[in-house]
Amino acid sequence: MAQTPINCLLLERANWSADFAKSATARGIVTLGVVHPGPDAIDQARKPTTLGMSGVVLEGDFDPKVRAALADSKILTVELPSRANMRFDDANRPVIGSYQGLWPGIQVEENGATKSAPSGAPWIDTNTGFLRFVRSYTAKPVWIANQPPAKTVIMVNRYLQSIGDAAIAGAHWVIALDDDFSRRLLSRQPQALADWKRIATTLSYYESHNDWKSMTPHGQLALVEDVGSGALLSGGILDMIAVKHTPVQPVPNPKLSDAEMKNAKMAVDVDPSSLTPPQKDVLRNFTRAGGTLLSAPPGWTFPMPQNGEITLGKDDFKKLDEIWKEVNGMMGRTNLGARLFNVSSMLSNLVGTPDGKRLALHLVNYTDFPVESITAHVLGNYTHARLYAPGAEPKDLPVYKVEEGTGVDIDKVDVVATVVLE
Amino acid sequence: MMTRRDLMKAIAAAPLAADLARAERSTAAPVSVAKCDSYDGDLTGMLSTMFDQLGGLGRLVKNKTVTIKVNLTGSPALKFQGKPLGLTHYTHPKMAAAMAYLLERSGARRVRFVESAWATGGPLEEYLLDAGWNVRLLFGAAKTVEFENTNALGNGKRYVRLKVPGGGQIFPAFDLNHSYEDTDVFMSMAKLKNHATCGVTLSMKNCFGITPASIYGDDAGMEGPNENPTKGRGNVCHFGKRGPSKSAVQELDANSNRDSGYRMPRIVSDLASMRPIDIALIDGLETMAGGEGPWIRGVRTVKPGVLIAGTNAVNTDTVATAVMGYDPRADRGTAPFTMCDNTLKLAEALGVGSADLKKIEVRGVPVKDAVFRFNANSPA
Repeated sequence: MAQTPINCLLLERANWSADFAKSATARGIVTLGVVHPGPDAIDQARKPTTLGMSGVVLEGDFDPKVRAALADSKILTVELPSRANMRFDDANRPVIGSYQGLWPGIQVEENGATKSAPSGAPWIDTNTGFLRFVRSYTAKPVWIANQPPAKTVIMVNRYLQSIGDAAIAGAHWVIALDDDFSRRLLSRQPQALADWKRIATTLSYYESHNDWKSMTPHGQLALVEDVGSGALLSGGILDMIAVKHTPVQPVPNPKLSDAEMKNAKMAVDVDPSSLTPPQKDVLRNFTRAGGTLLSAPPGWTFPMPQNGEITLGKDDFKKLDEIWKEVNGMMGRTNLGARLFNVSSMLSNLVGTPDGKRLALHLVNYTDFPVESITAHVLGNYTHARLYAPGAEPKDLPVYKVEEGTGVDIDKVDVVATVVLE
Repeated sequence: MMTRRDLMKAIAAAPLAADLARAERSTAAPVSVAKCDSYDGDLTGMLSTMFDQLGGLGRLVKNKTVTIKVNLTGSPALKFQGKPLGLTHYTHPKMAAAMAYLLERSGARRVRFVESAWATGGPLEEYLLDAGWNVRLLFGAAKTVEFENTNALGNGKRYVRLKVPGGGQIFPAFDLNHSYEDTDVFMSMAKLKNHATCGVTLSMKNCFGITPASIYGDDAGMEGPNENPTKGRGNVCHFGKRGPSKSAVQELDANSNRDSGYRMPRIVSDLASMRPIDIALIDGLETMAGGEGPWIRGVRTVKPGVLIAGTNAVNTDTVATAVMGYDPRADRGTAPFTMCDNTLKLAEALGVGSADLKKIEVRGVPVKDAVFRFNANSPA
């Protein structure tokens, strides 16, 4: 860990140790003891601090009494519950997150074919839609702590994709290595060390560009949604729009205001019935000012995640297909911030400074091959573009005028990259 | 005295005799074959040599508008194993750029790239960008380069109606984007591939893509064209489950065979007869075998390392079929025409060109030295 930006360790019970905590603290590393639901959860949760550890992580869904007891004790507590039990309004927690996440990647069907999304693009399993919603809800750090799939050979690129999948949404994936990789790394096998170095380089890449995290979604399409309308699911409406690389700004119902909508030209309201009268007024103002609003008919909402499921059910895909037709019909070929080409196996996120003078276009490639010859047409006139990638020197890219604003070509993206336009 | 049976025999034999007579007259122009193992080499030089072997490109294109039908089948989002589309089932952009440059050098007045882009009526330039083409570079390859998506009306004001000589086998005429009429020279830039329905897809089958989905697509308008097509053409052409838009000429016989292995070879050969291909260029440098795209089960990437060019589509496709390790005159039931009729022989019967390898002069690399067996189970 010496040459990585990792500064916090989540330790399972078997690894709790005063000596280890002391040694970690001496290196500036925070140690948190992971506690799982159980009858002795409160006692368990009090133990780490007695060993010199910094606090605890409550991973899973706990009895509220446990949380209350720990709140009284002032022990530093990070909650990573199921998505359905995330507490968005608890101002006292330092972090918001969940242990539930998809293992990012292109979904392959049993016959080896790539599964397609309603938009025709390959279906990419991603947590970005969920994470972008959470980020738009809160300014707190967002963690997602899903584990790699068991009994699966995982190439290093999949780890890099997982890091990028969270980072392009401004969140952190809590690094978790599969057993085989851990074993090889601890025995210092050269390939494992090389792979670990790539992981560290990718982590450092995002950590060294903290300014990107403060940027907000830059686009003219607003998606008004909430926890009760399917925003906590993966593979929902936000992911469906994002896979077509349309810049979209998630707007949680409680955050819906004239200010939030000021840059939007189009909006999708997933569940009009859930809006309060003042929130409805905001959308009325939006349409009166010339905005195009797609108010969803009853039935566009998806349920809260339940029974461990965080993706749509099989029956929901037909519904998603219908939604896609409506949303696509509204957007057409309109450039709502950026249009990207030759990016079917990638996900992107366009963020920018409030004045829009500086943009960062994040890219993650979910295939095992580099993607070449990517083109972006960005709304607005930008005179400089620079490509950033882990372990590579920043590279200036020529910009050129296109009908919608500024064009830029990217020769190649291995796994993750970011184009900054000014 | 002629019995009823004799009469029926005579009637049945008459068209066959006519077909044979046309086939006998079918032309046999030379075909050039070259070995080339990389898109990073001197493609322009290679193509130049090949066209010199065919009598020179200048005599064909000088001061003329050349329309190039590229092969961009299926959604650009569907990549095989994540590989660049040009290395699997799409026309390679470097091949397109080299050809455009060579045409410019040979005096062509205008080069127009066309394709009926899958499931969209949007600009072809954007479709090409999605396929990873550097469109700006391509614009610079020749003085006047244009692009047109022929899946709908495009830049034209009306569709053009081209009639199939002899009346056609399935449709007597087709309504097409204006580009297929507004040109002096028509070129098919195909990929050397198998095809699930037609056995092989070469310069003729590539031109099935000249039919606009706005009229022949699954979501074509019932009365008139749908200028925003979002689907393929399976129902109208492959399976005959519905007709084209009523604004177009309908099928000759709505009760005819609905088997795609019967219909598609006939539609393709009719199209080749109706819109003759002046230049056929088949790219077999890197491609796929076992099918025309990643949606076909069991496809695999292959590197035959071969280019084939000619001025007669049937001749060129015949040589290409032989290069793929097949008998170009094989009947239905024999690979590659396992489940379909032989498009080459149907086109030959229409007088488009000879499918007899013995009659075709191959220049450059002899077929025997260029053979790359597409059927993985064939003996080497």
